[in-house]
Amino acid sequence: MEPELLGEYLPVFARAAWLTLWVGLTGIVCAVVVGLACAVVQHFRVPFARQLVSAYIELSRNTPLVVQLFFLYFGLPKLGIVLSSATCAIVGLAFLGGSYMAEAIRSGLEAVDDGQSQSALALGLSRGLTLRHVVLPQAVALAMPAFTANIIFLIKETSVVSIVALPDLMYVAKDLIGTDYNTREALTLLVAFYLVILLPISLGAGKLEKKVRYAAFGS
Amino acid sequence: MSTTLKRLAIGAVTSALLLGGLAGCGGNPSSNSSNSFNTLEQIQAAGTVKIGVFFDKAPFGSQDSTGTFVGYDIVYGERIGQDLGVEVEWVPVEAASRVAFLETGKVDIILANFTVTAERAEKVDFLNPYLKVSLGVVSPESGVITDISQLSGKDVIVVKGTTAETYLEANNPEIKLTKFEQYTEATSALLDGRGAAWVTDNTEALAWSLQNPGFTTGITTLGPQDTIAGAVTKGNTTLLKWLNDELVTLGTENFFHKDFDLTLKPVYGDAVSPDDLVVEGGKV
Amino acid sequence: MPPSGLDVLFQGTNFLRLLGGLWVAARIALISMALSVLLGVPVGVLMTSRNRVIKAVTRVYLEFVRIMPQLVLLFVFYFYVTMILRVNLSGETSAIIIFTVWGTAELADLVRGAITSIPAHQYETGYALGLTPLQVQMHIVLPQSIRRLIPAAVNLVTRMIKTTSLVVLIGVVEVLKVAQQIIDFNRFTYPTASIWVYAVVFALYFITCYPISLLAKGLEKKWALSSQPSH
Repeated sequence: MEPELLGEYLPVFARAAWLTLWVGLTGIVCAVVVGLACAVVQHFRVPFARQLVSAYIELSRNTPLVVQLFFLYFGLPKLGIVLSSATCAIVGLAFLGGSYMAEAIRSGLEAVDDGQSQSALALGLSRGLTLRHVVLPQAVALAMPAFTANIIFLIKETSVVSIVALPDLMYVAKDLIGTDYNTREALTLLVAFYLVILLPISLGAGKLEKKVRYAAFGS
Repeated sequence: MSTTLKRLAIGAVTSALLLGGLAGCGGNPSSNSSNSFNTLEQIQAAGTVKIGVFFDKAPFGSQDSTGTFVGYDIVYGERIGQDLGVEVEWVPVEAASRVAFLETGKVDIILANFTVTAERAEKVDFLNPYLKVSLGVVSPESGVITDISQLSGKDVIVVKGTTAETYLEANNPEIKLTKFEQYTEATSALLDGRGAAWVTDNTEALAWSLQNPGFTTGITTLGPQDTIAGAVTKGNTTLLKWLNDELVTLGTENFFHKDFDLTLKPVYGDAVSPDDLVVEGGKV
Repeated sequence: MPPSGLDVLFQGTNFLRLLGGLWVAARIALISMALSVLLGVPVGVLMTSRNRVIKAVTRVYLEFVRIMPQLVLLFVFYFYVTMILRVNLSGETSAIIIFTVWGTAELADLVRGAITSIPAHQYETGYALGLTPLQVQMHIVLPQSIRRLIPAAVNLVTRMIKTTSLVVLIGVVEVLKVAQQIIDFNRFTYPTASIWVYAVVFALYFITCYPISLLAKGLEKKWALSSQPSH
């Protein structure tokens, strides 16, 4: 191991880490939006849309992101749809993550006792208000463990976006192995950077989980 | 909790950890990895030689619709196997993993359009060359690139771990590179309009643009003239010597001119003369 | 869209090659899963230990393997560990080893969860009835643990199969690599092949994983119901 090489590569990896985080977080936000929409459709048993959502969830959960990305990046242009690398990565993460987020939110919604919504409705709250003020706050707390697990899962999944030429951590590591042949230094930094990104999230998630569990049980 | 079960479990896991630990202590990473390659004798005793080749780079190394390896490098490799008196096991490699494949002993020889460079020569032992090469720039006919300055600020496609990547990063930092792991991915991206040009070895550039209507090699020679050679793991002197002697023998029968006629001529036609590319006997 | 794009699959042995590639992926997943079960059960039992050192070691192992993207683990092992250990391992063997390291951690955690979910009063009742510790394990703890364990373990199989799509990046010729070869080789005759071939690979993964997911869901429902009275 040559320390000066680690120093030389550090800025390259730092830039790549930003990209990993940026793609990951944007993808997660989109996945939450998709997931929320799907969960609401399923919760209110919206006809037709519900079947569509179930089909989407099964497709998304039973296929790998790598294949989804290859299809988006190398397949779609044959239909005249050329999406940029970043768009492909975010669409891919949203497609994959949407179903996981939907399941997390749905399980949260289901866990809230039905009696509570009925009481709220009986008190004259509209369905929308009941959802917003009574059901969702508790559902979010209950769904939190699954939710944070999904966030970690999706950031880990970003490690494959290099196949669509996005210069993330994996991409620069492979690039340095291929051009400078300093395999050891490149891989050490790769592992270190993923630890720096994911360890705090994982530890934070554990703490948060304890907190909201208390809140949920306390209600 | 049953103590019997627990003891069994502890036994299983600690022994696994111990084994792993022992194996880990055995190797000092900075020392010369003396066991990671097969010597000439070991290869002949085993009866197979593992040759790393490209699987997506026609006409040098690719797979046809039955999965059979074909191309210029393959014809050379087949001859090596024949003269060694062993079977050839083809191992598909990517450009960026060629050095790593030799270092970890995953292949005995690399015959994958491997350009000789000083950095690579620190990590692997090159044979004497069998091809001459420089870089070429492929661009769509709708926006032909004839001078490298036209690429300033544009997206240019390269394959990771190729001399094109190293050259452009060192000499033309103003160009934005989009890098792919595999040739198929790079060429698909070019076809889909994801870059203004693709920079690669001029041998491939010419071959590819001749096969793909709508594309042309606007710059046929860029950067210094290099050579392409086979490579073996650093320190595998017995195999290296045998292969260099083999090149001399092949030179006496003009082997690579025949190889050119068989695999490259159908692609290049009269656009390229064999003497522009081929190196016989390992001497430029 | 000319229909010829899909026809490329029926040229030569293309479709069979694609299935062969899928089998390579499935084989990696199945062997790794079998090894993970063999190793994961004892490691899981070990995780319930009160010994601090054992607890710390297993915890670090589990956290590390869970936090690192599988692709990173694959790369480190394939390009680095094999170099240090001076062993020559193929991409497929490396993949099996890394998937087993990962699968063992996941399965062990499931085993740990299943064992610790058995309430203490059940052990006490067992002992009070005069059962030996081994009998308590065999007749009370294991049967219940297994019911909690199996649906999640079946789910892990689908995760493993999906994760095999990464091995293409360490040079294993599996279904995606075969797909790329087919697309590239037929670029002139079938210029739009890529969308069809990737769609078929997508479908193949779905067809492989969906039934296993259904099985996991079914088992979960069935056993969740039948184990209800015991609470």
